[in-house]
Amino acid sequence: MILIVNTTTDTSITDEIREALASGNALFSTAGAKSAGKDASSAASGFEIVEAGTMRISYCVGCNECWLKTPGICALKDDYEEILKKLIHADQMWLITETALGFVDHKGKNIIDRMIPLATMNLQFKGKQMRHIPRYKQRTDVGIIYRGDADRSFLERWNQRVTLNLHSHSLGVFPVTEKKEAIACMH
Amino acid sequence: MHALIINGSPRIKKYSNTDKILSKFTEGMKESGATWEQYEVSDRQQWDTMRDAFFRSEHILIALPLFFECIPGLLLEFLETLPVPEKLSTPNPEKLSDPMCEKHCNNDTKIEFSASAPTLSFLLQGGFSEGIQLRCCEAYLEILAERLGCRYGGTLVKGDNFGIRFDESQRERVTTPYQKMGSIYGRDGELTDEECRKFTGPEVFPAYIRMLVGVLFKTVVKKGFMKMAADWGCDRPLDDRPYES
Ligand SMILES: Cc1cc2nc3c(=O)[nH]c(=O)nc-3n(C[C@H](O)[C@H](O)[C@H](O)COP(=O)(O)O)c2cc1C
Repeated sequence: MILIVNTTTDTSITDEIREALASGNALFSTAGAKSAGKDASSAASGFEIVEAGTMRISYCVGCNECWLKTPGICALKDDYEEILKKLIHADQMWLITETALGFVDHKGKNIIDRMIPLATMNLQFKGKQMRHIPRYKQRTDVGIIYRGDADRSFLERWNQRVTLNLHSHSLGVFPVTEKKEAIACMH
Repeated sequence: MHALIINGSPRIKKYSNTDKILSKFTEGMKESGATWEQYEVSDRQQWDTMRDAFFRSEHILIALPLFFECIPGLLLEFLETLPVPEKLSTPNPEKLSDPMCEKHCNNDTKIEFSASAPTLSFLLQGGFSEGIQLRCCEAYLEILAERLGCRYGGTLVKGDNFGIRFDESQRERVTTPYQKMGSIYGRDGELTDEECRKFTGPEVFPAYIRMLVGVLFKTVVKKGFMKMAADWGCDRPLDDRPYES
């Protein structure tokens, strides 16, 4: 499943993605899942769009309860839980976000910070670095589509690091002017 | 030297590791004859005061925990409220109707600090032990200083701070070394000294340490975490999968 989380209030981008993916899915189903392999199976399982721009989503308060008190469950009862529940079935997550100070804005960053229940507190070495052992089997690759001015090469680097922590891969970061390139990676 | 210190952790002061680090760090500053005022991002009621202080300070230190490889969402939200040049020049229809803003946009004038541009330094601390874990955020902090129109005064980078909150016996051992770094900051008004650079410790651990620690993770450390959870009244395994059907 492809999960698209839009933290902006501009729904024209998600409209375009919906249209592109809907026709893409139709293509896959007529082409037949066998020949298209893995791509087809994830495309066949569809996509979900979450308009988070108007949702009630707090910042992470760093309380550690999702690790130590109610493992996997965030203590903050707001609209993020819906996203968390979808994330554990998502092969890809695309974050559509505004930017600030050369980076994603706080709404975009909050979506990432709140992913912490997906990790357990337990530690391991992965390659040469410490990492937390993931809670679920699902690995979610992450891509970013950003609106406004940002330091793109820094964002690339950051998303590489974020996905290292998720034991997954970066799908790249795209200014909204390159959304077509991003959509081409949604499969 | 007088410094504005901002604790950028979203955790309330009482539970914040950054705060425990800062109490040692400021002891060191005192030794160098420096003074400071400290505010907490976790307390929104302090935001207006912090913002005012930002524009009248020559020396600013933002101390922050690493959150998912960069700065915590709440600190970012506070920083977004500072009227920086980048924000003013972003074509935002609301802002454009503001004559002040148009002036800024047209002349590309930088925000005016009461004195010359302040020196913005950072104390970046994280949970994982190795220096390499903090480098991505460190790179951003230099970008951030520039975006805020400040002179970059360097970043003190240090991992292995997760236990401060949980283990009283570890607290002293982990936080005491920051005192010396505070005395350097009090002396220089920035954190670019070679001593600060060395403070980070190893970028990665050698293979034999990783093997050893790897074994500890599966045994002693894991048990320790289970004990902490039990103390918090947790009745589920730490690797529980609550949303799996
Ligand atoms: C949401 C979240 C994300 C975190 N991400 C990282 C990380 O990417 N790397 C790291 O070394 N520590 C990470 N940490 C650990 C904190 O940086 C560390 O525990 C720090 O000492 C907390 O300081 P504070 O109590 O002042 O907030 C994270 C903690 C939380 C709650």
